[in-house]
Amino acid sequence: MTLLSIDGLTVSLPPGADRPNAVEDVSFSLNAGEILCIVGESGSGKSVSAAALTGLLPRGLGVTAGKIVFEGRDLRGASQADMRALRGARIGTVFQEPMTALNPLMRVHDQVAEVMQVHNRPVGRRVQELLEAVGLPDPARIARSYPHALSGGQRQRVMIAAALALEPAILIADEPTTALDVTTQKQILALIREIQSRRGTGVLFITHDFGVVAEIADRVAVMQRGRIVEQGAAADVLNQPQHPYTQALIAAIPHRPPQARPDAVGKPVLELVSVGKTYHSRGVFRAGRTVAAVQAASLQIRRGETLGLVGESGSGKSTLARCVVRLVVADEGAIRFGDTDLRPLSRADWKPYRKRIQMVFQDPFASLNPRRKVGDILIEGPLAHGTPAAEAKARAKDLLALVQLDPGAADRFPHEFSGGQRQRIGIARALAMQPELLIADEPVSALDVSVQAQILALLEDLRVRLGLTMLFITHDLRVAAQICDRVAVMRRGQIVEQGSTATVFANPAHEYTRALLDSVPGRGWTPPDQPTGATT
Amino acid sequence: MSPLRFLRFLLARLAKMIVVVFAIICVNFLLIHAAPGDPASVIAGQSGAADAKFVEQLRHEFGLDKPLSTQLWIYVSSVAEGDLGISHRQQRTVLSLIMERLPATLLLTCVAFAFALMVGIALGAAAAQRVGTWADSVITVMALAFYATPIFWVGLMLVLVFSVWLGWLPSFGMNTVGADLHGWAAMADTAQYLVLPALTLGLFYLAVYARLTRSAMLDVAGEDYIKTARAKGVPEGRILRRHILRNALLPVVTLAGIQAGQLIGGSVLVETVFAWPGIGRLAFDALLARDYQVLLGVFLTTSILVLVFNLLTDLLYLVIDPRMQAQ
Amino acid sequence: MRSFARAFARNRGAVVGLAVLVLVALVAALAPVLFPFSPWDMQGAPFAPPGDEGFLLGSDSLGRDVAADIAYGASVSLLIGAVSTAAALLLGVVLGAVAGYASGLVDDIIMRVTEFFQTVPSFILAVVLVAIFTPSLSSIVAAIALVSWPPVTRVVRAEFLTLRTREFVQAAEVLGRSRTAIIFREILPNALSPIIVLASLMVASAILLESALSFLGLGDPNLMSWGFMIGAGRSVIRLAWWMSVFPGLAIFLTVLALNLVGEGLNDALNPRLARRR
Repeated sequence: MTLLSIDGLTVSLPPGADRPNAVEDVSFSLNAGEILCIVGESGSGKSVSAAALTGLLPRGLGVTAGKIVFEGRDLRGASQADMRALRGARIGTVFQEPMTALNPLMRVHDQVAEVMQVHNRPVGRRVQELLEAVGLPDPARIARSYPHALSGGQRQRVMIAAALALEPAILIADEPTTALDVTTQKQILALIREIQSRRGTGVLFITHDFGVVAEIADRVAVMQRGRIVEQGAAADVLNQPQHPYTQALIAAIPHRPPQARPDAVGKPVLELVSVGKTYHSRGVFRAGRTVAAVQAASLQIRRGETLGLVGESGSGKSTLARCVVRLVVADEGAIRFGDTDLRPLSRADWKPYRKRIQMVFQDPFASLNPRRKVGDILIEGPLAHGTPAAEAKARAKDLLALVQLDPGAADRFPHEFSGGQRQRIGIARALAMQPELLIADEPVSALDVSVQAQILALLEDLRVRLGLTMLFITHDLRVAAQICDRVAVMRRGQIVEQGSTATVFANPAHEYTRALLDSVPGRGWTPPDQPTGATT
Repeated sequence: MSPLRFLRFLLARLAKMIVVVFAIICVNFLLIHAAPGDPASVIAGQSGAADAKFVEQLRHEFGLDKPLSTQLWIYVSSVAEGDLGISHRQQRTVLSLIMERLPATLLLTCVAFAFALMVGIALGAAAAQRVGTWADSVITVMALAFYATPIFWVGLMLVLVFSVWLGWLPSFGMNTVGADLHGWAAMADTAQYLVLPALTLGLFYLAVYARLTRSAMLDVAGEDYIKTARAKGVPEGRILRRHILRNALLPVVTLAGIQAGQLIGGSVLVETVFAWPGIGRLAFDALLARDYQVLLGVFLTTSILVLVFNLLTDLLYLVIDPRMQAQ
Repeated sequence: MRSFARAFARNRGAVVGLAVLVLVALVAALAPVLFPFSPWDMQGAPFAPPGDEGFLLGSDSLGRDVAADIAYGASVSLLIGAVSTAAALLLGVVLGAVAGYASGLVDDIIMRVTEFFQTVPSFILAVVLVAIFTPSLSSIVAAIALVSWPPVTRVVRAEFLTLRTREFVQAAEVLGRSRTAIIFREILPNALSPIIVLASLMVASAILLESALSFLGLGDPNLMSWGFMIGAGRSVIRLAWWMSVFPGLAIFLTVLALNLVGEGLNDALNPRLARRR
């Protein structure tokens, strides 16, 4: 039974935007008991399509053409009051950010009960039943809690409970797992799947991740710049993509199984021995709290090797990387670089090592000083170490070429570049020091998948050409499999397992590693290596 | 929050208050000593009216022949015992003068504060709800205007209009002299005298709270949980009351606590304009008479008032923001 | 720079405010030309209403020209507003930068002192300071500066705390740049816009504070100021309303103009926030 059919939907953007329409001539339909995934990169218009359906478009956007037929009536003609009666009752919505999607001043019970109250349904014991149904432990306690006491995964379950409270015909899930760790993501996806199949709800699932699509979708619609370029059954789109854009997107997903690489030999470039870092919060009248961010972490990286440090958020992988470059001062252990223990060195004694160890950061929008030109950003490191200005400038030109940017980029400001281009500038800044060891802290996690593939290819190319040794921090096992010779898995401040990537992925020894690998979205799906879509 | 944790919180705040009070006493001591001239003659007043015997008595009282640290100790312990010194002009203890005047100041500031907070929040909320319309513009411009007007001048202009030209309200004092009223009649009489000073003091803070409420509500309206509420089908009126307003009040409460000091400082000016017999007027008279003991006593008392007020807003915050209780 | 000017000009109130401010500054600068006599001198009959005896805005109880006094008072208000703000900024920015960059014990101490100054009723402290150190231009400026630096410290510290953890500052650290280079070339330029906006509002409140002090008789006895004029007119308001109305209007317009300019600067420097209005 068709619950929803959207036909020729066009949503206009305010004047002055980069294109006239956010969404153009979009048509799709959703049946009861079906999960339709809308996939696309950021700015493709996938969220706008869903917002048009609930009548909650951001200010300045308006539906200019098309039909939205839900349960037999066209919603374009519906009044505000009619739309409000549908929202929450017939159409439930779950958003991306569980940390901000709940009102901090209302108890969980009241936020779930509100859906029933505003639609004039009895509340009774329903809230606790719902919290139990979404798999929350001790529903009575959770109902009394305020959102700040819950984890991200728990909050998302509360959101789902509220969205499903009145058994809506449709559930819109707008990137509901993007902000969650993979293990939590797996549980939430399973929950949505389970509830949907039990109740026959139609789910409109918006995501950027083809792994998630493979995990959950019955049908797929691929969006690019406001248009649907391809739609069909999930298996067909995933395994035989027809449109070049879909093919490119799927090809960009890191999916190479980990290669058995020759073991690096020779002396370790970096050796960490039982490194620890504990944070203390002080208080005069209350007990101070201590958080052990990193505990007894030991690892080695040999020349020319890439070691992946993988783990979920809060595992301490970034703290450990920051200990290596003294952005965080470790409390204990040894950080040996060559023959020197860097940990006890003062800020001044550290300076010579700054040239030899460099770092690439995560957020391409925060990692470049917005008030300085790219050329200045690239020469400031060498200048601080006494390189003559003329030489530093000449080298900056070469570096821009090396990271495949136009030499004219030197005279422009960071905001004139895209995320991927900025990340190239960040890499060039690190390489300007001609480092022996490069630390890359989640360098691709803020990027769209197609850009991510380009940056990974660039890093791989530079590593081979310049003989770099790399410590690569990532939460994404697919990326780690693609680029790392060896991996170390971190959990709650401890390294629980390390070894060659191929071995760890094939035979994980620690149960946490197994859980992580098991949670990689779309693990059962191997993207087609050669796009087979080129039909004649 | 468990009673034990609440007690711990309360104790921490009280300890902090004691430290601040001690620091203020030290500042007072420093001021007396840093001022040009001999501390005793500073306290006695530089106008030369003080006789040598009085100055000598002060010298002895402060132990000016002893080391500075001993003098500080003498000063702090006498203040801690409630001895704020003697007003040589009025030949009374400073403490008794201040205690006599305190109720009038509390009445004025509390009424002005309540008026400013309630009307300010209401106007700010109204403006935020109608953002971009003429009503929003009128409220915004009004708030901006009151924010830019010297408080004593507002008082004078209100006197000019409502007392001098229209003759509707009294402009001077706290009650009708010689009327000998009691009970309700006395209260009604004082209420009449209270209108103009309270309005004067309140208008500036009304402007502050209206501006803050408006911008806080616009901020909150952009939060994700408001989007969630809409997606749940919650009507706009209920979103405004239950979701936006409650969250937007948090920064208003914070600011109200921070500005308590300014409100009390403003009462000095307002009491001066309206001859309202509170500690602000006492400070002004002390200023004219160079009665510095009284001035320093007023400084200490008003600071303690601010601390008490801050404690009250902290407790209020504890009630309305569950996140505070977790810390 | 051009885009900044365009963004500023989009706020009509800010442009009007700037125009008023320029006008006040012009009046202040031209006072000796427009009124080539001492503002303290008697120029005609006392209590002349506006328009009478050639007094544009009337005369006061000693026959002084209210218009001339306002013109001379303008330079005093602007001077005290600007100098005390500059002093408060210097103190506030240095303390805030040190607290925000150093953190730890230094930060703790600075913040306790800041909290102390924010708790104490600032106007009463200013009154006590000026009274005890005897009213003069320097004691007034010092007192105003001493009670107005805490917000600067708070803002600067907060900016430094967030900017310090921003990746471009960490990148500068990893590149081995010196502390001074990181503070002055990386952090401070990015913390400038809130400081500029705050400064414009601080000049406004400094002018209000100065007028309140001189209203209570704590002005520099050698300088004609707006607050003093209102204080002098207070007791004779039934007789000569113009003596208190016009100087009050002058304060109101100047302070309003500064607030409008502050809002315009805020819109122009924080375009992301402005769009929400």
